[in-house]
Amino acid sequence: MRNGGEGRARLLLVILIVTSLFLITLDLRGVKVLEGFKQGTQTVLSPFQRAGAVVLRPVGNFFSDVTHLGRTRGQIEKLEAENANLKIKLLNRKNADGQLDQLKDILDLAGTAGYKVVNAKVISHGSSQSFSQTLTIDSGSNAGIKKNMTVLSQFGLAGVVKDVYPNSALIQLASDPAFKVGARIAGSQQIGILSGRGTRSASLQLLDNSTEVKEGDVLLARGSIANRPFVPGVPLGFITKVDNSAGAVAQTASVRYYTNFSTLGVVAIVVSGPTSNPGDALVPQKPRVTPIPTVTVTVTPSPTPSN
Amino acid sequence: MLTRQISVAAPIFLLIFLIQEAIVSQFRLPGGGFSILLIFALTWAVLSQQEVAAVIGFAAGFLMDLSQSAAGPFGQWTLIMLLAGYAISYIGYGDDNVHANAIGIVFFVVAANFFVEIAFLVTGALLGVSTGSFGQIVINLIGMSIWALLVSPIMLPVFTKLHGLIFDSRSAL
Repeated sequence: MRNGGEGRARLLLVILIVTSLFLITLDLRGVKVLEGFKQGTQTVLSPFQRAGAVVLRPVGNFFSDVTHLGRTRGQIEKLEAENANLKIKLLNRKNADGQLDQLKDILDLAGTAGYKVVNAKVISHGSSQSFSQTLTIDSGSNAGIKKNMTVLSQFGLAGVVKDVYPNSALIQLASDPAFKVGARIAGSQQIGILSGRGTRSASLQLLDNSTEVKEGDVLLARGSIANRPFVPGVPLGFITKVDNSAGAVAQTASVRYYTNFSTLGVVAIVVSGPTSNPGDALVPQKPRVTPIPTVTVTVTPSPTPSN
Repeated sequence: MLTRQISVAAPIFLLIFLIQEAIVSQFRLPGGGFSILLIFALTWAVLSQQEVAAVIGFAAGFLMDLSQSAAGPFGQWTLIMLLAGYAISYIGYGDDNVHANAIGIVFFVVAANFFVEIAFLVTGALLGVSTGSFGQIVINLIGMSIWALLVSPIMLPVFTKLHGLIFDSRSAL
């Protein structure tokens, strides 16, 4: 050791380890000081995240779009710059149109069920370094958002509000491995627990073995007491695979969420639940196959001129 | 000496943390993406003495715990990064095979990145943190290592230069 010998280094290491263990103990015991630390950090970070979202989203879209379209080489530099500029404007417009579509669908969903919602833009996606699935939105307690409120996408459940700050909130996505929601199968009303797996796929554990489930069955949220954390009737997903292992205590099934978590741009937070349970009213309609008209061509030989 | 270095390094850590939270986290990268703060801390740990590396790991871990996307109890990343920083420095410091060439440092950082994530999973399992299905964990581990392998060489000159400026060492490549 150059700066004081091994004893000092060991002492420092021991102090730091004890401090870390102390922090873990405090957190596990639910001490609020650490919550305050995190809240303060998020309050400071949210304006930067908002700015980052505004600046980087169109740029990211621009680069991906250019990759898809293919580069046109040999253009004059001035024209390229002009073209890029126009493209950014167009992508901004496309981005806004996309968000508008998402918002319209969310409002349709919320309106059908009678949910009162607050809309918010996604300003940051959480890092997967901790194997968690979260995102940050640009509305918080100032907009009436509270912890443990249901978060909707245009297709159904997106997640739940995990933490709230004055101007932002942290959403735990339904794909998070720690996420669990009470679910019921539309129609049969069989109930179970749906757990996230870190992807768009989730696992359903049914509480009763007596009823049979089948692929394609739609799952809806059962709802919680006082509508928090989950309002009833929100579409969750559909069953893709049923596990009927012999001797299993409860039936399990794989479920695909309706929500595509990687494309979330706008979400809605349910601030007030419905006065009555919407039941199966929100079950998404199955896509209708549009019949393709058959065109029959009859070939008639033209009369040959007689000699 | 150490206090002065830490006080100079603190704003850099905060800046990297800000970049991670405000910029890197805007992109949902495939395979779990990367943490620039983690790569930064591991790079500095390779270049530093044990006690400095432990403090670097502690500071980086504390900031990672402050991140909103951090799962698990507060202090878990602090403990892991502190031990990782010390261990990396213990193995790598003074070894010219690691220290004197960029490839050695990149290899060390990528390997450390992988083992730090494994350590997070193991301690997370002990502390009751849900981490998803086995397949998803494997995909994330591989993805994060590949990202670290791509990002580390790009950021290495900047990180080593900053380290050289603050710690007045001859480690800048």
